[in-house]
Amino acid sequence: MKSNKDKYIRCPYCESVNVDNGGVVYCRTCKNRISGNKEINLRNAWAMLITAMIFYVIANIYPILVISKFGVTSSNTIIGGAIALWEEGSYPISIIIFVASVFVPLLKFILILYILTNYKKPQKGSRRVDQAMLYHITEVIGPWSMVDVFVVAILAGVVHMSSVKITAGIGATAFVLMVFFTMLSAMSIDIRLMREDNDGD
Amino acid sequence: MSENLDDLIICSHCETIHKKVELPEKKVAKCSVCGKKLYSNVEDTFKKAIAYSITALILFTIASMFPIIKVYIAGQESDLTIPGMLITLFNEGFYVVGSIVFVVIVIAPLIVILSYIALAILTYFKIFRGFAKHIVSFLITSRSWAMVDIFLISILVALVKLFGYAQINFGVSSIALILFVIVDTFVLKNILPVELWTYFNRAYDEK
Ligand SMILES: [Zn+2]
Ligand SMILES: [Zn+2]
Repeated sequence: MKSNKDKYIRCPYCESVNVDNGGVVYCRTCKNRISGNKEINLRNAWAMLITAMIFYVIANIYPILVISKFGVTSSNTIIGGAIALWEEGSYPISIIIFVASVFVPLLKFILILYILTNYKKPQKGSRRVDQAMLYHITEVIGPWSMVDVFVVAILAGVVHMSSVKITAGIGATAFVLMVFFTMLSAMSIDIRLMREDNDGD
Repeated sequence: MSENLDDLIICSHCETIHKKVELPEKKVAKCSVCGKKLYSNVEDTFKKAIAYSITALILFTIASMFPIIKVYIAGQESDLTIPGMLITLFNEGFYVVGSIVFVVIVIAPLIVILSYIALAILTYFKIFRGFAKHIVSFLITSRSWAMVDIFLISILVALVKLFGYAQINFGVSSIALILFVIVDTFVLKNILPVELWTYFNRAYDEK
């Protein structure tokens, strides 16, 4: 059953239905702030997204992993690591690394960009639904980009012999920061951006 | 106000608003637009969650105390334990990586488990309603930062990378870790926020 949808707003913390007055809304049940100033939220989301993108570039330039074998060091970037695995014949793992570390963050950037650039345009009902769906896709796939960081942490944690030693690289730091800021960007998207007609008052 | 707001529910997936209906036992209410589950019978779901969170706590403790895998490289042996891995990261100066990994595979999952247990105790005695409310909010937020499932997959990926160079044995903790991820995926992370809140309200309002 459907009823008039624009008067109400969902509290993302407790899911209770609240009346949307168009301004700052505090949840009637859990007292959390559901929606604040849209412009500020939008600016925050943009700032976090751009920060994340910068870290993404850094993460791809610098090595994520450093291997020292008998005193000789070599290093792997994310893409370099995926290519090396491919050449060794570990195709599935190579694909997992590529998808999780290269493709997923890019897809997340694109989806957030799409949400942020499209919200001001008037939208029909179906488009609005898409917007919410896209947001949920980013929520589900987001954490998977941590795979490469975990792999580096595991390898560094286990390979520290006298002859061979693996350590994390600067790229790993940039990478976790990228994941962190992407999550923050997605979280600062106002729930109303996903739902409202934005047809002016 | 014409409508009681508590009788309404907004789909968390597509933001469509619905009127709540009384559910027969073991039935699930789904969104008519996107098909996503809206709510189900909460009493059963939550009782299940309490038993499973205690199990999860035990599994998690085992998984983080003992070696998950043992690796032999060039005649030398080395263990993978979660604390050992974090200590290595910190010792080598990777504080940012170490801290974030610590949060997503230790702190957040622990908060989720302990919140379930605390919530069960508080609602049983019907005490500290305000505090219990914070626990529910905190539980829901923490769930999106808990990534033990992804960590498990990462172990498999790391193993593939090591295959050529090392002999690998599985430690006791690997089984605990796998079982933990199963409980986490199918129970702890599977209970919808709205079900938690319905349970919460019912527990405190019932006489
Ligand atoms: Zn609320
Ligand atoms: Zn829906």
